[in-house]
Amino acid sequence: MTDQELFSFKRLDDTASEHISSPKYSYWRSVFRKFFSSKVAILMLILATAVVLMAFIQPMFSHYDPMDAESINDITKRFIRPNAEYWFGTDDVGNSLFDAVWAGTKNSLIVSFSATAITQILGVVIGMFWGFSKRFDAIMIQIYNVIANIPMTLVAMILMYALGSGMIQLIFALSVTSWISTAYFIRVQVMIIRDREYNLASRCLGTSTTKIITHNIFPYLISVIMTSISRDVPSFISYEVFLSYIGVGLSKAYPSLGQLIQKYSAYMTSTPYVFWIPVIVSAFISVSLYIVGQTLADASDPRTHMV
Amino acid sequence: MENDKKEVLLSVKNLEITFFNNKKAFRAVKNANFEIYKGETFALVGESGSGKTTIGRAIIRLNPTSAGEIIYKGKKINGKISKEEEREIVRNIQMIFQDPAASLNERATIDYCVSEGLYNFHLYDNEEDRERKVDMALESVGLLPEHKSRYPHEFSGGQRQRIGIARAMIMKPEFIIADEPISALDVSIRAQVLNLMNKFKEEQGLTYMFIAHDLSVVRYFSDRIAVIHKGRIVEIAPTNVLFKYPLHPYTHSLLQAVPMPDPRIEKAKELVIYDESTRDLSGEKPILQEIRPGHFVFANDREMREYEETLRRWEKEEQ
Repeated sequence: MTDQELFSFKRLDDTASEHISSPKYSYWRSVFRKFFSSKVAILMLILATAVVLMAFIQPMFSHYDPMDAESINDITKRFIRPNAEYWFGTDDVGNSLFDAVWAGTKNSLIVSFSATAITQILGVVIGMFWGFSKRFDAIMIQIYNVIANIPMTLVAMILMYALGSGMIQLIFALSVTSWISTAYFIRVQVMIIRDREYNLASRCLGTSTTKIITHNIFPYLISVIMTSISRDVPSFISYEVFLSYIGVGLSKAYPSLGQLIQKYSAYMTSTPYVFWIPVIVSAFISVSLYIVGQTLADASDPRTHMV
Repeated sequence: MENDKKEVLLSVKNLEITFFNNKKAFRAVKNANFEIYKGETFALVGESGSGKTTIGRAIIRLNPTSAGEIIYKGKKINGKISKEEEREIVRNIQMIFQDPAASLNERATIDYCVSEGLYNFHLYDNEEDRERKVDMALESVGLLPEHKSRYPHEFSGGQRQRIGIARAMIMKPEFIIADEPISALDVSIRAQVLNLMNKFKEEQGLTYMFIAHDLSVVRYFSDRIAVIHKGRIVEIAPTNVLFKYPLHPYTHSLLQAVPMPDPRIEKAKELVIYDESTRDLSGEKPILQEIRPGHFVFANDREMREYEETLRRWEKEEQ
């Protein structure tokens, strides 16, 4: 073969070195890919989804009412061990523990999710501006110093005594002081990245503070906010359990995991399953939601996206 | 004499910048005076920590000033000014940052990074127009339109710096402060970025303030040089004059520190390290004085006489 057949002339292409050959990067796709690469996380996600769905769907069919004790006089219905008909057995008044646990889980989850949502929204929004404004910081740091030094449990207990028991009251009592620690956490994070050069560059381009917060700071904080959420959800569940256990949580009309644990703690030795089943369910929810949240927090950190 | 005919774009008068750390004041810039003419490249040279970046940031209003004035096109732009005036300055004075890795928002696409200024000032008619402008800006710095959907971490240092330049250029500024734009770059990329900056200067009649510590670059890039030492401007002169007649001892040692690509010269070179404590500082307080037209040096009357003598000797040798 001649040279003409083997070789052909090519023009110099200046743009050739500028091409990027790697596949297109998408933040959220990378987050999901990273998240689903963890088997434990998938397992925990399935578990958490199952528990949440069960808690919100099952009570619709069971119509469990803790005040209803129609089988109280039927001794044969009390303390039936878990079997095919009563999966979790029955309790001291002859109610199905399966129904009780899911109705209780539902209320515990509602309390925990609502309190987390309020805490996070207030905490993140206030924390962002707190980290940015020196004048706001001077006031807020004093408020923080006062509130952070009062035990949150004490505040919640006193509020519950003052307001009376109830779902709204409990959510209020839990979130009224907890947002400030989230806000403080966000403030510190904002201060760390506030003066980075790319924010100065944005300022040079005339970007307003609000836009810098939403476009430059917030995306960087997704991962730490995820971490914070994944810590809050289980902690509010434990708070609810604890407050209901000492008798200042939800009213008797609302079953909750805390109330079940408190009610059944008397049977811890005689019929341990009535006590341990709600405890185990509560632990399962906390652990699975925590692990899902933590894995999601890791996955949402772009530093983990590089392979 | 030539300078007098030129239009002054920016003048800095008795500028002082003070930082406070727990009520302890630190004067980062002391009594700085200089003028930048329209269409020139003015370099600010000094070692790190000398306050050169601080001056640049004060002009762009990132650092507050504690005394003195910065006058841009006849209007004072430091201290308290109205919102509209501030927007006007932001629009006309742009900055190119030192570290291309740190100065781009890692979580935004190149499309957003480049059009950020357009969004803020609404410098486009419609979405199509904005896209066209972004494409043009990317093309002018040698990047491709397909890069718009990419993120900064996917680019090399040189490419990122060019994105930074595109972002500043899209605003159609009059004055650009380039804060060591090539110090963080690979030597092979430096020329590319400098040529790009020169191209824009010619095309759009820009004025640059070039902050640098590398004299070898400054020599080929700038028209006039100001040497700054510990927050004080010690000498201002046109580039060729400064390299020929460095009067202030600090300028002298700064020039000497530039390595020569000749081992024989390098070996024979006796380095003079500038040390203020060994100098004769007697007499009245020194000020920035004009020794030849356009050549300023920080000195008192006694030093002025010495400098005058040296200068005459040099000029005689020249002839």
